Amino acid sequence: MAYKPQYYPGSTSVAENRRNHMSNNVQKVREISDEDLTACLGHRAPGSDYPSTHPPLAEMGEPDCPIRQIVTPTPGTAAGDRVRYVQWADSMYNAPAVPYWRSYHAAINHRGVDPGTLSGRQVVEARERDMEAVAKEQMETDMTCPGLAGLRGATVHGHSCRLQEDGVMFDMIDRRRLEGDVIIQDKDQVGVPLDRKVNLGKPMTTAEANKKTTFYRVGNVAYRDDPEAIEWLQKVWELRTIYGYQPK
Amino acid sequence: MAHYNFDTEANAKKHFITAMEVKYGKEWGNNKQADDIQQTTAKYLRLGTEQNPRKMEMAKIGAEIMKKRGLQAYDPLLHLAGIPLGQRQLTPYTLGGTDIVCDGDDLHYVNNAAMQQEWDDIRRTCVVGLDLAHETLEKRLGKEVTPESINYYLEVLNHAMPGGAIVQEHMVETHPAMVDDCYVKVFTGDDALKDELDPQFVIDIDKMFRPDHAAQIKASMGKSSFQAVHIPTVVSRTADGGQTSRWMAMQVGMSFISAYHMCAGEAAVADLAFTAKHAGLIEMSEMLPARRARGPNEPGGLSFGHMCDIVQTSRKFRDDPCKIALETCAAAMMLYDQIWLGGYMSGGVGFTMYATAAYTNNTVDDNLYADTEYGWDTYGTSIGNVKAPTLDIIKDIGTWGALYGLELYENYPTALEDHFGGSQRATVISTATGAACAITTGNSNAGLSAWYLSMYLHKEAHGRLGFFGYDLQDQCGATNVFSYQSDEGLLAEMRGANYPNYAMNVGHQGGYTTVCTGGYTGRGDGFAINPLVKTCFADDLMNFDFVEVRECFGKGALREYDRCAGERAFVIPAK
Repeated sequence: MAYKPQYYPGSTSVAENRRNHMSNNVQKVREISDEDLTACLGHRAPGSDYPSTHPPLAEMGEPDCPIRQIVTPTPGTAAGDRVRYVQWADSMYNAPAVPYWRSYHAAINHRGVDPGTLSGRQVVEARERDMEAVAKEQMETDMTCPGLAGLRGATVHGHSCRLQEDGVMFDMIDRRRLEGDVIIQDKDQVGVPLDRKVNLGKPMTTAEANKKTTFYRVGNVAYRDDPEAIEWLQKVWELRTIYGYQPK
Repeated sequence: MAHYNFDTEANAKKHFITAMEVKYGKEWGNNKQADDIQQTTAKYLRLGTEQNPRKMEMAKIGAEIMKKRGLQAYDPLLHLAGIPLGQRQLTPYTLGGTDIVCDGDDLHYVNNAAMQQEWDDIRRTCVVGLDLAHETLEKRLGKEVTPESINYYLEVLNHAMPGGAIVQEHMVETHPAMVDDCYVKVFTGDDALKDELDPQFVIDIDKMFRPDHAAQIKASMGKSSFQAVHIPTVVSRTADGGQTSRWMAMQVGMSFISAYHMCAGEAAVADLAFTAKHAGLIEMSEMLPARRARGPNEPGGLSFGHMCDIVQTSRKFRDDPCKIALETCAAAMMLYDQIWLGGYMSGGVGFTMYATAAYTNNTVDDNLYADTEYGWDTYGTSIGNVKAPTLDIIKDIGTWGALYGLELYENYPTALEDHFGGSQRATVISTATGAACAITTGNSNAGLSAWYLSMYLHKEAHGRLGFFGYDLQDQCGATNVFSYQSDEGLLAEMRGANYPNYAMNVGHQGGYTTVCTGGYTGRGDGFAINPLVKTCFADDLMNFDFVEVRECFGKGALREYDRCAGERAFVIPAK
């Protein structure tokens, strides 16, 4: 299915980065192997088969219907995968992604995903292999800095905390940390220790993060310095308000 | 214990900074913290619960309980399979507008007797009119109702209301030591009648309110007379809010029988009972529909307007609408978030964290004084001199307040860390922005409108807001602000905790109440929506201090609050 480019107001780098995330105009900056990805997610043993909740659709003898003719199942659905999750926490200190844009990225560019957006975390639930495709894309591209973002299933606290002295986002259960000049992860999303140290790559420098971020903040790109974005938002508010006020 | 009436934005900012320095720049317990409150990095010492005396006290008592009963109890090491709280740091909270500093745990309503008493005092209260009953006595029974007979009736009633017998032989009674918080007073807009009544029974509107507010309240209630009834805390704790009017009506009926020498079984008694139970009754809150299944005088039916009028700060600080809003904010946040949503609706212990952000560390204070000064300076308004709202005015104040609040968190990383969840921050910013708009315009719905604009701007600027449902409520909100179709919109004061789309998400209901407060205090009015409720609580005999709410919470946190009611110590073995 082809999507048209997404439009978003604003003339600043933050607005441009937001448009890039929505349009999947993101750059691959690191390599994460399938086994490492599986380990970090923690849903199954690396290299094992995908557990399933039903037989492959092709073997189920499903009734014919117009919707089934229109919608091609995603690979995970066709195989009968379980629904599993990937959940991110992104620091408010200029992490490249913010929760709503992780959701927009997933929902606009991937099928069969169920994004959930909160202030400190953002979750995507999908059939396991479909979810892994989203997770891998977000993990390997410049929409993620391993120092300013983390896979966190539980105890997600940290997005609003001051950074550690080494510039890494605080993690109460210490799933990943700076070793040398790279971030390594040795616990899965919910903090269960792994049998390996997954190399997540180098964290962005402050300058890189400032340039890549989708977060408006003073000291970098303040929201008030993007009047087009604010005026557009005010218009949304005004139209919704007037729509509700219909004296008849 | 000091009170700070900030008066100005600069003054509020100073106290916000002081609170941040107390929280993050000084040692608390053994936390060994000494940070610059504007630094964006911190050293995380991961000291665990041992840095905090209150946590250590809890651990010690948890171990004692476990030993005594032979069953697992509180143990901080069960957190995250051995990683205890305090990996960040355990920091104290300054109660807004005071110099009281306490631990966060002491602001949970279970640990805070004052917070419990706030809700007890609301739940056990109702107002009931006297006029209908007097008409029944005079016209149907031919009794003469005079100031003397009313005084005698009130003497009888203040014996009967706590549970004393007045008519029958052989009756058991409640022990006065168990019910000493129970009493009845009266108030009226009829000055001549007031002067004839025994002062012990009278809430004197002229003494309790400023002259302009007193005149407004008396004009609103006319010559009618009302009883302010507070049944025993222990009674409403044992039953529920629905018990309040039943208990009241039974004692009122019996007292009429006794004081006016009626036949206990005559049909006219039914008229008096109907008056007390229905026709002349004003509950603090409405009964909830079956799907939420609560009786009257439970928090889910408490309108924002009534909550505004229950809080009494406006009687003493009329010229500081921000302080009135902040004290109301504290009372409403605690009740709606901790007790209603956290307790009744969800069962969650963590709802305290939402409420606490709204009345600690002077953060809402800083935002609200700044936003209000902006509104007043820009539109040349002041108390009682408001500017009728337009969409442009709302847009202006809403945008200014939202950006100010967002940048406060961006400039003060410790404030961001203190309000570690987006829904806390969103509530803080929208509460201040909405209330300031309401103060400037004297219009609570204009304030609500600014609230929603603030939410939109917040979500867009930071790319995050609260959580799924929280965001849903605020994305929908603008559309129902000015709708007056009955199933879609309502005056803000008449909305409440069970209003459609308001019913499930923390951080909103107390904030909306604060916005409503801005409406009436901006106009300089004596009450928000119900002069009877405002007058009923204008009474220093109430156990909870509805004027200085935050100070009262602070006393509870410091274990210095000594106006608790409903205690059972008198009838249980002394330890």
